[in-house]
Amino acid sequence: MTSLYSPSFNLSPNRASQDPLQQTYDAIVVGSGATGGWAAKQLAEAGLKVALLEAGRAVTPAEFTEHTPSYKLKYRNHSPEVARTRPIQKQCYACMEYNYEWFVNDLENPYSTPAGKPFTWQRLRILGGRSLVWGRQSYRLSDTDFKAASRDGYGDDWPISYADLSPFYDIVEKYVGITGAAEGNPMLPDGQFLPPMKMSCGEILMRERVKAQFGHTVTIGRAAVLTQVHNGRAACHYCGPCERGCQTFSYFSSPFTTVKDALKSGNCTLITNAVVSHIDMDNSTNKARGVTYIDRLTRQTKEVRAKSVIVCAQALESTRILLNSSTREYPTGLANSSGALGRYLMDHVVGGGASGRLPELKTPPNANEPQRPNGIYVPRFRNTPSSAKHPRFIRGYGFQGGADSDFNLNAEGYGTTFKKAVKEGVYGINLGGFGESLARWDNFIEIDPSLKDAWGIPALRINMTHGENEAALMEDAAATAAEMLEATGAKDIHVQANVEMPGMAIHELGTARMGNDPKKSVLTPFNQTHDVKNVFVMDGASFVSSACQNPTLTMMAITVRACANLIDRFHKNEV
Amino acid sequence: MKRRELLRAGAVAGAVAALRPSLASSQATPATKSPELTPAQSGVDASQDLSATNWKPLFFDDHQNETLILLSGLIIPATDTPGAKEALVNRFIDLILAAETHDRQRSFLDSLGYLDGESMRRYKSAFRYLKRDEQDDLLHSLAYPRAGSGWTGEAASSDIGHGHFEKLKQSIAGAYYSSQIGARDLGWDGAFSHGVYQGCEHPEGKH
Repeated sequence: MTSLYSPSFNLSPNRASQDPLQQTYDAIVVGSGATGGWAAKQLAEAGLKVALLEAGRAVTPAEFTEHTPSYKLKYRNHSPEVARTRPIQKQCYACMEYNYEWFVNDLENPYSTPAGKPFTWQRLRILGGRSLVWGRQSYRLSDTDFKAASRDGYGDDWPISYADLSPFYDIVEKYVGITGAAEGNPMLPDGQFLPPMKMSCGEILMRERVKAQFGHTVTIGRAAVLTQVHNGRAACHYCGPCERGCQTFSYFSSPFTTVKDALKSGNCTLITNAVVSHIDMDNSTNKARGVTYIDRLTRQTKEVRAKSVIVCAQALESTRILLNSSTREYPTGLANSSGALGRYLMDHVVGGGASGRLPELKTPPNANEPQRPNGIYVPRFRNTPSSAKHPRFIRGYGFQGGADSDFNLNAEGYGTTFKKAVKEGVYGINLGGFGESLARWDNFIEIDPSLKDAWGIPALRINMTHGENEAALMEDAAATAAEMLEATGAKDIHVQANVEMPGMAIHELGTARMGNDPKKSVLTPFNQTHDVKNVFVMDGASFVSSACQNPTLTMMAITVRACANLIDRFHKNEV
Repeated sequence: MKRRELLRAGAVAGAVAALRPSLASSQATPATKSPELTPAQSGVDASQDLSATNWKPLFFDDHQNETLILLSGLIIPATDTPGAKEALVNRFIDLILAAETHDRQRSFLDSLGYLDGESMRRYKSAFRYLKRDEQDDLLHSLAYPRAGSGWTGEAASSDIGHGHFEKLKQSIAGAYYSSQIGARDLGWDGAFSHGVYQGCEHPEGKH
């Protein structure tokens, strides 16, 4: 049984004498990423006995490569092995020759899409999941987001408001450590910030000139990166490539924070290489009794028993588990009496933006400059309570971007002239939009009847397109980005008004949305399934609308809120 | 190209090592080799692979290889720092192309072939056998298509020729600046941490 456990994970307490499958836990948490780590920490620290199941292996700092120069790689980041085994994963900017083994092998983890409706599903199976490689941008939603339907009539409001979630944003931010600047912008509520990172000259010009000409806020990115020592972790040393790991744990990833705490409590048993296939039901009581998983390495089938099951496997994977858990009582998927399970899939729309150069800034690039792992952010300014209603679209978008001097490998000519011009560099500036993806019934996931993964588990068929509203958002984002760059003084402005394929923002949301009405939603406002009282979904699957802000901070806050409620129920013996 | 993609420096920075000695030692020992680790995660250092004395091309024939060595040296010559020839740019491009799709292989050879084709057309000889002045004249007309050739009076070359030239130049520049020699040419000191990002320190309006 020790192979089930994680002896290589040096942070875990020694519990090898216990068979992790011979006991009944209070809770099984499926997935060890951003939300699963939080669920395990909160529940275990409250005294619940928790089994934390992760489909991948453990991870150690010895395999971090952020301090490896590209010339030490055989193919300097053009490895044919990445193209062969990760043809989909390599569409993610963070999947590289350095770290591709952290990402799923596409040959073993298939999914299907209808003809003409591509979807890129980028994911990891390893302790910590995508929190190892995430972009770290961390923004609060506001009531303009939670109550959007009441304002413009599209879709449904969330069953929770900003006031419900605000205290849990506080808890998450204080623990994680979010660098950022307070702006007092009602579209982007301020939080518990560590000192902000500095802006470059070009970014300050943009902030000043965009404010003067358009009234929009340009702020430094809010990111889960430490700018000072925080909760025992060191401040960022500005080496740059966080997605390859961090020797000092200065960006937030779950294995070295929440999961570590959960294990330290003595109440959490980590089971790695546990590929959960479905939730097991006790039909006589209408309650789950645990989960079945396939050992990733031995392919043996195992069961874990618990009083409650919490899936935190990432939106699509969590819903896949519920869809694969159908019973006679729930023939179309567990807890799917509403029919909404798998429906309302969202991903932020990207592809609209602009780039150029700022000729008035002459600073040459410097190879020995600290690398800031963060950019700038422009909070949503369309269809706000204080702006006019846009004639062509509802909702809005935010911009991410930056301005900096860089080596100019596109310099003209050849020979000594070229070699010199590369080093003289070019001061670049760019903005890219992240737009709201509307929740639509006909964007959905289902089980493909004929496709299975390498462990024999039925795979997903993903049906999603971006619609006219998303296209209109990107068109406006492109034009507006160009205007903002022009106002900043940029030249040679290149405008891009594309709608990238769904999945490219890597912000999959929905498919098990929360709501007060069990006929229209899968989850209660506390992430409990309406149908099965001891099954919970705590991740992005629960989102009612996508807003346009990067969602991980909100996913974590929702999880902490749901866990507080679950702990309360345990204390009242209601589970 | 972002310099953080180019550089991603090597040794543990002194500052980081001083900060967390236990981490520095953990990095010094490569992780156990496992099929679930990338070569980089296992601590493999491939930086000397291309300098083997018995190196043979995997993809190019001798003429293509010699042409590329010559061309790379003209595009990025040795100055006060070594150039593309010294950085063995031809060997890296050969390695990459050997693993590429047939279409991309053919695309590169089309561009290299274009260079010889133009050379034959203008000077009745393959590029690598031209006099240095002739090579320079041909490259100049391809690099600055509107300028044409002051040497032979040839009209400005087409956009097609410029496109082939830029494709070859991009491959050469990408290979050069991703090499250790290229990183040093850009001034990189080999350290990873250079303190805290300071951003703009100018007074308002004085950037």
